[in-house]
Amino acid sequence: MAARTEQDVVRSELRWSIVVGLTVGAISLAILWAGLVRFINPPSNIETIDPNSVHLSAEFNEANLGTRVENGQVVTRVVATQFSFAPQCVVVPANRQVTLRFTSPDVIHGILVTGTNVNTMVVPGYVAQVHSVFRKTGDLLMPCHEYCGLGHSQMWATVRVVPEDDFKPDADGRALCEKP
Amino acid sequence: MSPEDSDRLWIRSSIGVVVGVLAFGILSGFVIMPVVQGAQAGIDPWTAICRALGISPGSPAAQQPRSAASGVPVSNVIWSPQVLNTLSSAPADAGRELAVGVCAACHGELGVSTDPAQFPNMAGQSSAAIYKQLHDYKSGARINDTMQSVVQDLTDTQMAEAAAYFARRARPPWDVTWVRTAGPEADRLARTGDSARGLPACESCHSPAAAGPVETPVLFAQTPQYLSVQMRAFKSGQRRSDLFGRMRDVAGKLSEREIDMLAQYYSEMR
Repeated sequence: MAARTEQDVVRSELRWSIVVGLTVGAISLAILWAGLVRFINPPSNIETIDPNSVHLSAEFNEANLGTRVENGQVVTRVVATQFSFAPQCVVVPANRQVTLRFTSPDVIHGILVTGTNVNTMVVPGYVAQVHSVFRKTGDLLMPCHEYCGLGHSQMWATVRVVPEDDFKPDADGRALCEKP
Repeated sequence: MSPEDSDRLWIRSSIGVVVGVLAFGILSGFVIMPVVQGAQAGIDPWTAICRALGISPGSPAAQQPRSAASGVPVSNVIWSPQVLNTLSSAPADAGRELAVGVCAACHGELGVSTDPAQFPNMAGQSSAAIYKQLHDYKSGARINDTMQSVVQDLTDTQMAEAAAYFARRARPPWDVTWVRTAGPEADRLARTGDSARGLPACESCHSPAAAGPVETPVLFAQTPQYLSVQMRAFKSGQRRSDLFGRMRDVAGKLSEREIDMLAQYYSEMR
């Protein structure tokens, strides 16, 4: 529709202003709803770690990765590195709170566990922590979702959710993925 | 309505909209959001508002669940700026004496091995890769009787200088009779990997232009024997000084046939 007069132009601008206003309003309401009803907020606890010596750190050295039960709390530690997750498979019990802790020694990676609320960036120099309760048993895919280099699309690992009764940590509290 | 009136109305209403949006933003961001979320976290409304405004500090970083492992780290190499600096700024021939006097017996004076099936060629290799392996032999992370005894008395600087010396030697000469025998399957694995197995392309780290881990060696001019022995050592876990099991993971996913194929492929890489 061609604008014939200045009035037409003004009306068109107003119409579009209303569309933009409604869009911005809807997004603001979605943010408010997420914050007020779903209690989604920015991460609050900043934890740092020296990225050069992650492999020597007490917490993230190779022997301490994976799932461990500590004081009744299930803690899973994973290092995201170019181009794999260590370990490649972690086992967690269903219907129990699990604390997942991630860090990276090299570049920015991202982690999500399909079908769960676990979704975070993994930034070198920081520890990313997520709490979750896994309801469904089975193998869940955990891909890297932040471009990290040429091998990014081959970078994924498995979260194996087992029924609580089948979750049997050893004397040290560690639980490993059994080879299928 | 005169044009002046129309303009005035326009200006007033736009100012009104901007002020309204600003007020809504301030109200929701500094009052509603902190008060409601603060109540969940047991923080009183006034403190919550002050924290949202940045007037009073937030919660200090809380101690998180931690545990110490009894395991020994796989490698003690730390890629600090100092180490990287020593590697890149080592004088051109500082490592010559050591290299010629000690390393040359097996690896050759110019880094071209005397028996490449057993001892890898060093000429043109990445200095970080050589340094990492020397360091791992010294710390006992990588096991080899000869190498471990050779590096035992070397300092970090000596290792860096020897690494830099070999890194600057010209690669072994091109063999004019060279014929490429590795097929497209090896090429596909090396260049695109296999997503279904979570197998990254070899080239995503080993290509000289790839921005992968700093200690990754460049793969060229080695014999298929040497390469396949190393891949199998990773696969069995006999060689385990790779950080975070990067190579142990990759080699563990490769079949015996694929290992031979890739060893052949990379031995033909110049």
